[in-house]
Amino acid sequence: MTTQALLSPDILLAVWLSPSFPVGAFAYSHGLEWAVEAGDVGDEATLVAWLADLVEHGGARADAILLAACWRAMRARDFVALAAANELALALAPSAERKLETSQQGRSFLSAIEAAWNAPAIEAASAYLADEIAYPVAIAIACAAHDVPLAHACRSFALAFVANLVSAGVRLSVIGQTQGQLALARLAPSLAELGAFAAQSTIDDLGSASFRSDIASMRHETQYSRIFRS
Amino acid sequence: MNALAKAPEGHPAAPERASGEIRATFAAHGSRTRVARLYETGGLRLRFPKSADTCEAVIVNTSGGVVGGDSARLAFEAGEGAQVLLTTQSAEKIYRSDGARARIDVSLTLHENATLDWLPQETILFDQAIFARALHVDMAARARLMLCESTVLGRLAMGEQCCHGSFRDRWRINRSGRLIFADDVRLDNAPAALLDRPAIGGGARALATLLYVAPDAESRLDECRAALEGTECDVGASAMNGFLVARMASPSPVILRGAIVSLFSRLLGRAVPRVWR
Repeated sequence: MTTQALLSPDILLAVWLSPSFPVGAFAYSHGLEWAVEAGDVGDEATLVAWLADLVEHGGARADAILLAACWRAMRARDFVALAAANELALALAPSAERKLETSQQGRSFLSAIEAAWNAPAIEAASAYLADEIAYPVAIAIACAAHDVPLAHACRSFALAFVANLVSAGVRLSVIGQTQGQLALARLAPSLAELGAFAAQSTIDDLGSASFRSDIASMRHETQYSRIFRS
Repeated sequence: MNALAKAPEGHPAAPERASGEIRATFAAHGSRTRVARLYETGGLRLRFPKSADTCEAVIVNTSGGVVGGDSARLAFEAGEGAQVLLTTQSAEKIYRSDGARARIDVSLTLHENATLDWLPQETILFDQAIFARALHVDMAARARLMLCESTVLGRLAMGEQCCHGSFRDRWRINRSGRLIFADDVRLDNAPAALLDRPAIGGGARALATLLYVAPDAESRLDECRAALEGTECDVGASAMNGFLVARMASPSPVILRGAIVSLFSRLLGRAVPRVWR
């Protein structure tokens, strides 16, 4: 039995979506740093409201839907559909920094998976993909290749997405660490809902409304003093 | 007119009430561009106001608005080296619907060295309007495309809010056969309440996205940002993959329009179409 076969899907997800997995997630704020600068986010309540919008109507929702579409394409060995979904995921980036956020993490994620958690299906998929890989697409490839159920993958991804931004909020001094956990707990119902919805979604469910989050990521590009890459 | 819009009872996806279509091809003749082929049907017409040196085509909806179940298909093709500007005679009104979705599908094709500006005036959604727009572009590597769509939620001047309804907007922009930009907007159920949320609209009622795809697009980002300085509009701009994109949001359609006009003038290097002034 291989090491991988001894690990349950939940443990694989805990490893791959842990802040210590080498994708550099800590460097990205998804425009949150500008929202803090502009005064839209300044405490726990405003952080929760901003993040809830991303989960229910923004980037987190879109990425979870793309993850599901790619997971299914992988299971069907439909690498053409996988490549098309990747192209769409990259094209949906609303700004240069959001494009960097998804493509740099996607590439780093897949490289780390290929180095430590490779599987024949991952190699097969890689051959169909261009150099640029969107982050949710890379996660879908690994999860599908290692029999991680789609619902688990979507739920864990949604949680990791928001936990990373809560941590960004802590580093931006918007909230303390304990308040960060409180924020995460408040968002938990929305995250569970998104996970369940995304697992049975199709690519036609794509659709966001997070205009001001998009604008924030654009404004962040010229923000004078900044610690994040997006 | 609205009485005709009633969907048959028990059929939420009612058959199309009215369908209109314009298909036009533009071709360069020396330094001028003329319409080479034109097909119009179902209340949609294309008019050509006399103008100095550019080919300007104005879309007229003779039915005066769009109701649930209506569909409009607009397909424009700019031949090699052609230069055309397309706009609309007035703001497009989307009336309240009893359940059927109104659709506008726009398809733009630009051949090598063609220039196409797609600058319709704003689309106004009445309360309970159910509307989907789709914008599909196929362009050659050295073509130039400027496009901007603006949408106002509710007849604000009379205090109307889009408390119910749905707005979907799907853009797919392909250059040299590759998808370079995609946008999927979804404001469902309670558009006004959604737009009050902080990362969505922060109280905005007027939204616009402007996209400029051209060999020089990325190099004009600073200029674009400079043109937007001082506007009260919530706005950001970015550039990548040979295009420039700006998003705008404001509680005021007038402020939004002002920001769009200053962007047009700066990026196109000439005045906006007369209907916009």
